[in-house]
Amino acid sequence: MENQRGIIEIAADRVWKFFSSVKLAVVLLIILAIVSVIGTVIQQNESPEKYLAEYSQSTVQLFETIGFFDMYHTWWFVLLLFLLTANLTVCTLDRFPHALRIITAPLKPIDDDSLKAVPFKKEILFKGGMDKAEERAVKVLNARRYRYIESKSAGMTQFMTQKGVLSRLGVYITHTSIILIFVGALIGSFFGFKAFLNIPEGSASKVVYLRNEPMWDKLMSALGIAGSAVIPNPSGGVPSMPLGFYVRCDSFDVDYYISPLGQPTGMPSEFHSTLSVFNLDSQKILEKRIRVNDPLTHNGITFYQSSYGTVPEARGKILLNVRSKTSPDSAGELVAVDPGASVYVPSINRTIMALGFAPYGIRNPATGQVMFYQSQNDEYLNPTVEIEVYDGKKPVYKTYIMKTDAGQPYLPEGYIISYVGYWGTRYTGLQVTRDPGVWVVYTGFILLCIGPLIAFFGSHRKLWVRVQDRAGQAVVMVAGTVNRNRMGFEREFNIIFDEMSK
Amino acid sequence: MDSSLLFNLATLAYLVAMVLYISYLAFRKEGIGKTATIVTLIGLAVQTIALFLRWRESYQMDIGRVPLSNLYESLVFFTWSTVLIYLVVEYKYKTRAFGAFVLPVAFLALAFINVAGISKDITPLVPALKSNWLFYHVLISFLGYAAFGIAFAVSMIYLLMDTDDHGPSGNLFIGIGAIVVLALLGNFMASQGERLKTAFWMGLGVLVLAWFIYLISVGAKHKHQVFLFWSICVTMTVSLLIGMGIDSISLFFHPLAEGESFKKHLFEATFLNASAPVAIISWVAVIVLFWLIWSKGMGLKNLLKQYMPALDQLDDVTYRMIAIGWPLLTGGIITGAVWANSAWGTYWSWDPKETWSLITWFVYAIYLHARYVRGWKGTQMAVISAVGFLAVIFTYLGVNLVLSGLHSYGGMN
Repeated sequence: MENQRGIIEIAADRVWKFFSSVKLAVVLLIILAIVSVIGTVIQQNESPEKYLAEYSQSTVQLFETIGFFDMYHTWWFVLLLFLLTANLTVCTLDRFPHALRIITAPLKPIDDDSLKAVPFKKEILFKGGMDKAEERAVKVLNARRYRYIESKSAGMTQFMTQKGVLSRLGVYITHTSIILIFVGALIGSFFGFKAFLNIPEGSASKVVYLRNEPMWDKLMSALGIAGSAVIPNPSGGVPSMPLGFYVRCDSFDVDYYISPLGQPTGMPSEFHSTLSVFNLDSQKILEKRIRVNDPLTHNGITFYQSSYGTVPEARGKILLNVRSKTSPDSAGELVAVDPGASVYVPSINRTIMALGFAPYGIRNPATGQVMFYQSQNDEYLNPTVEIEVYDGKKPVYKTYIMKTDAGQPYLPEGYIISYVGYWGTRYTGLQVTRDPGVWVVYTGFILLCIGPLIAFFGSHRKLWVRVQDRAGQAVVMVAGTVNRNRMGFEREFNIIFDEMSK
Repeated sequence: MDSSLLFNLATLAYLVAMVLYISYLAFRKEGIGKTATIVTLIGLAVQTIALFLRWRESYQMDIGRVPLSNLYESLVFFTWSTVLIYLVVEYKYKTRAFGAFVLPVAFLALAFINVAGISKDITPLVPALKSNWLFYHVLISFLGYAAFGIAFAVSMIYLLMDTDDHGPSGNLFIGIGAIVVLALLGNFMASQGERLKTAFWMGLGVLVLAWFIYLISVGAKHKHQVFLFWSICVTMTVSLLIGMGIDSISLFFHPLAEGESFKKHLFEATFLNASAPVAIISWVAVIVLFWLIWSKGMGLKNLLKQYMPALDQLDDVTYRMIAIGWPLLTGGIITGAVWANSAWGTYWSWDPKETWSLITWFVYAIYLHARYVRGWKGTQMAVISAVGFLAVIFTYLGVNLVLSGLHSYGGMN
């Protein structure tokens, strides 16, 4: 038994030594730097057809086996990251107690023996005696904001002081932050998911479609311990994840940059969806207008505006706003009409008939003539509605209502009709994620911003000022050590010494 | 007054400053050095005003965005940060010796964007870029790149000053032989189709990497090899700049077809030219340049000797620039990650640009660990710093030119 424990201990000791070496860290960093290049040269996660067009059959098979097509998620790459984290953790645990001892160690007077090892020291005969010399030392240290401890012994007074002792923590803060980021990323892949969801305007969903299943669920259901919440797709497609609530797309819209001539350029400036969240009993919980860079979060699940498109064959409702020309800033009346149908608008005592809808109309500013264009993917670059206005049964006039021209010039009567939307014909594309690890990662980020600054720009400086009585004359010696930035310390040391010897 | 006029004035100021700094080294007159500093300061001030003017112009155009959003603006900002950090170093270390190396880079970068036909239009931003993070991300990243750029310049000086003689000419012949073989092989493989062209570049990458590792591990003992490395780095920098310059001139006369990207035609006017004589002449020119730099390097060293700070001070400047650059690079990566998370819900997606910035981060992390923990100094550190800057250049330009990824706004066209 004794012997066996010995072997285990030796093995544990070896493993610990292996992981606590900085050589390993440098080697791992070199390997990671080199290996990471591969995944940037070979396009990741493309379709097999694309790979076959680029590489030969055997190369594709070889790369597939090694995992070069999804390199950053292969077991060996994750293992490298894991080794680096283990290395960092062990290095930190190995060295931190020592650093802590240095940090908490009380300042001690320095004797002649230890003085030999001190890199910075200078001595001068002080004219004016012991008391004056001590006074001067106190003054100089105070002026330079060094808080000192005084120690007196026979014929000698020592002032001991240090600055920046906490800068020794910088490297540990940095390393801890990287460990945190790794742990946060693991939490994310175990308990979080990435999914997508396309919802047409006016529709709701209580599931999202998964890109990444939570590893924990996968593991637990594989081991038969607990069922996964994931609903598999019977036809072999993308599995879905229940949300525990409904999310509805109330409306969706795209704004385009307008050219100097007043026409839309076709380049989206912003797209946004108004989303509502309902609980499973259909009670509304919250509503938010999301846009790119401004998502909605509910129950730890976040919905990001990511894309959009047209619902094929959808019959939507044309939405128009009618308000008086005398009060153009008023909210006006919202009118909804099916394409081809008509609706009576009481506030102006007219019936509006929607004759048709086109996604991209342009009005010639000179002639007022309207032309229609094909837009890519049926984008609503400048949605245009042709309407006919009736007074009872009597047609009054026909006109086009466009998104860009806000209606005014082409409406002969005392009201403005403007375009609001063609509701129900487009879907909003949402990226959906749950990442419980993100706050751990963010904590790591914050520490990673602070740690290097402390480590690189702080330094632990120790100073001793010894005032010694040598045969009735005061001899002042200044001695100092620094763990970093020797040149900067040397400058400071010399200034202090010069002031001391004035 | 509009911003482009001011940018041209700044370019001119940097050109004058470059000439002054070089003549300062040649004629050893204190007055020339002082004038050089003043002209550089004026150039920087003019460029700063130009940056703010461009910002204001974007608001006048109703686009309203930070002037840090496309390749043109990022190159302008890169030169701005480089000059700024250079002036700080000049002030702190009380030496004007680096000016002759930094100002040419600033001037050439500005001149390059003028001739390369990179669009200077203030274009509106796509929705994903409309975020306050854009400003912080680009600002922090480029300040970091600039610090690394200066670290690179100083390491190059270090490597030159560190060499006592250029060593046996056998080294030169091996170097030239390698270039000739690679040129022939590259031209042959490129002519055999896209697939072999990729294979060639990948193979070259592996060779270069192996060489770097060799130099980093035993460089201190083989200074002649390191000098070869130095000569190749300098030759490469100069010939790449000239090659791209010729490319842009040829593109000026034969504009690209609509929607075609600049990057597919990089170096086709010179090193990868379809006509064999042109390609051969370009490669011969590179070899002549290489020979000149290798054999005249010691002359340059003797010229610089009296101006350059001591070796350990050069080493210290390099370290300090990396100690500034690395936290900035870290900040740049982090702000990018936080931004990606607020836009797409993923803070890291291993896209080539992200990965390359991480590779750069690894290289400089190796530098810092080798220095702090293993106590390395001098030659090998200068080599790592040079390799790190090659990674920076690749992250910044190479990824957009050579690889495809999500960071589309950095594109050439």
